[in-house]
Amino acid sequence: MADILKIDRLSFRYPDSPKKAVDGFDLSVGEGEIVVLAGQSGCGKSTLLRAVNGLIPHMYSGDYSGSVTVGGASVKDSEMKDLAQKVGFLFQNPENQIFMFTVERDVAFGLENLGVPRTEMRSRVDEAMKLLDITDLALRAPHELSDGQKQRVALAGVLAMKPRLVILDEPTSLLDPKTAEELVALVARLRKELGTTFVIVEHRLDLLVKMADRLVVMNEGRKALEGTPRDVLFGGEAEAYGVAVPSVTEVQRLLASDGSVGLGQLLGPVELADAVERRRA
Amino acid sequence: MIEFQDVTFVHQNGVKALDGVSLKIDSGETVAIVGENGAGKTTLVKHVTGLLKPASGKVMVDGLDTSSTTTAKLSRKVGVAFQNPDHQLFSESVEEEMSFALRNFGFPAELVEQRVAWGLNLFGLTEYRKSSPLVLSGGEKKRLTLACILAWDPEVVILDEPTVGQDSIQKEKLAGTIRMLTSSGKTVVVVSHDIEFLWPIQPRVVVMKAGRVLGDGPAGKLMLDKGLLDAARVARPHLVEFYESLSNRPETPFVDPLEARRWVEGEGSP
Amino acid sequence: MYHRLDPRVKLLISILMFATTLLVRTLYELAAVLAFMVMVAAVATVLHRVGRTMAFTALFSGFIFVVNFVFTRNLETSILYAARFVAIVVSTSLFFITTSPDELEQVMKTFRFPRDVIFAFVTAVRFIPVMFLDTIQIMDAQKSRGLELEQGNLLKRVRNMIPILIPLVVNSVVRSGELAEAMESRAYGSVPRPTSLVEYRASAKDTAVAFAAVLLFALTAYSFYFVFPAKIL
Repeated sequence: MADILKIDRLSFRYPDSPKKAVDGFDLSVGEGEIVVLAGQSGCGKSTLLRAVNGLIPHMYSGDYSGSVTVGGASVKDSEMKDLAQKVGFLFQNPENQIFMFTVERDVAFGLENLGVPRTEMRSRVDEAMKLLDITDLALRAPHELSDGQKQRVALAGVLAMKPRLVILDEPTSLLDPKTAEELVALVARLRKELGTTFVIVEHRLDLLVKMADRLVVMNEGRKALEGTPRDVLFGGEAEAYGVAVPSVTEVQRLLASDGSVGLGQLLGPVELADAVERRRA
Repeated sequence: MIEFQDVTFVHQNGVKALDGVSLKIDSGETVAIVGENGAGKTTLVKHVTGLLKPASGKVMVDGLDTSSTTTAKLSRKVGVAFQNPDHQLFSESVEEEMSFALRNFGFPAELVEQRVAWGLNLFGLTEYRKSSPLVLSGGEKKRLTLACILAWDPEVVILDEPTVGQDSIQKEKLAGTIRMLTSSGKTVVVVSHDIEFLWPIQPRVVVMKAGRVLGDGPAGKLMLDKGLLDAARVARPHLVEFYESLSNRPETPFVDPLEARRWVEGEGSP
Repeated sequence: MYHRLDPRVKLLISILMFATTLLVRTLYELAAVLAFMVMVAAVATVLHRVGRTMAFTALFSGFIFVVNFVFTRNLETSILYAARFVAIVVSTSLFFITTSPDELEQVMKTFRFPRDVIFAFVTAVRFIPVMFLDTIQIMDAQKSRGLELEQGNLLKRVRNMIPILIPLVVNSVVRSGELAEAMESRAYGSVPRPTSLVEYRASAKDTAVAFAAVLLFALTAYSFYFVFPAKIL
């Protein structure tokens, strides 16, 4: 399985900052993986994401060293218009990434920018809307939609570009738990149906913990922890880096640490209860 | 302290944001208001300080009828921390920002100075005293808006979605602040859909849906009512789900992971 | 019905109306043109809205009358100039009132406005409702800090706008930054002339109306110049 994303000793410092925002960061992501990136505010996650989709260095200049390769192409040496078709970026605030008067035109935004001919554009827009289940919203005005719907419209616009890698920057932070659950399920489904690779920056791990293949914790611009979510959360170091261990996972960890419950996979609340009862039986 | 008497409120587009809400919050209580987006939680909060006036029914705050009292006067008693700090920071310096409300409320100069210093210290912002509030980080801005409110020492503090966009360290600090407010006798109302954050605080929980109050009671009891929570599209705390899935379990649900572990191991031993 | 005409036809109609007012030389001609405009506005069912722009227009037109009269002492030409101003306002506002932002964008594209200008316009309009909501939220937040927006003399009230305006401006600037990132990430600027999802084609009806409008204009111009005004009324 080829690596779709390879970050090699990346360092970046903004021009007016004395400190490096990203400091010697390494990461390889295989195609179809779901990687969650966590860490406290200010650890460099946002900068890292922008270095992956090309906003750094094409929109933000600064002290750049190391390399980022997406789908075999160097981000530094590629143009934004090519990068936009390889890497999709879903920003945190759904409102500030929807430009047009109607939903379908916004989904088409990227394709219009690329000069895609109308018939092809129409079918790609319809496909993306169907995938995200927003076909009935096609002619609505964005400001009338709920946050969850806006999120899906923005994601449809991103997927219409057919990227192989999609980055989500704290996608659930403005959503209520049920809507957040739906979004997470959507991401899992998209990975399954399209084989798209996802890199998700999130604080609220309880929703993502079972779905993610890998959890990477960042601190002060560097990679602090990396591994399967279970390994990282059970390791006991996550809290020190500002990563909250979900409550049930914490229970499982406490029980596992003295062998009372198996050290297997990460369990949800119901599964953990089953495991506890089975052990007792 | 705060009382809603059969309050109804209708938006301009005809949507009933509040539909016959009756609610009483006593002085010193810690109350969480939960419900999905659009349930009416923020509308409810805006009625407390008179930003919105009921179409029918009455809202009383410490004996004052909100329909005939100014928002400024009500805000003196009820401090509301809105979700987005960028909607209120505007001064040239942090200390000016902190003294804005104090001056509006007519605090004398020496007292303003005292309160500003106290507030900055309490939230660890003293080093930013002369800085522009606009260059602070997101977490610092949130702390600043809270500091501004506590500086005028309202009896009631309402927090509207205080955990949005906060990392775990910031949330811990926030939980600590809430505990401090409660222990100093303040009435605290938290509007939030972050159930996992609210659960360890064990507040009184008011569940809202479509402008109505569906449920009202202590967290320990209310969060067990799956039917109610599902109807309101409110998630249950994972610890509660775990607790409910055990066939053999204690009287009350676990409040934190340590408690859960202690019980499981206690039960396990022969 | 009028609203559904191709916006380019609506623009043509307004331009022709505007041109007609420039050709007018006597009050009779002017009265005829104004009556026609009122009729078109009524047909477009926007008479009420056009009427609302009249308050300011009437004031300014009165000013034009006074200045003209003072310098020319000619009642007829003064009235003519004043009324001409009103006619200009009516013809242009008719266009803007009956044309949606979407259609305005289409018109700009037809006239090969620069891509960036069109985009700036579309985005600005799209965010008007959002900024409106922001303003309300800002006002709520500041009122909750004791800011009185409805009391005090003029000077004080203007000063009290500062805590509202600064967050609004700051938010707009931050928003622009976020929009810029999102634009770049979706390949904005890749090609000089972006393609369009929605196609705008003029129908037979649109062409017929446009043709009729041009014909009417030609006839009117002819009669103003070669036939006595009294005869065409």
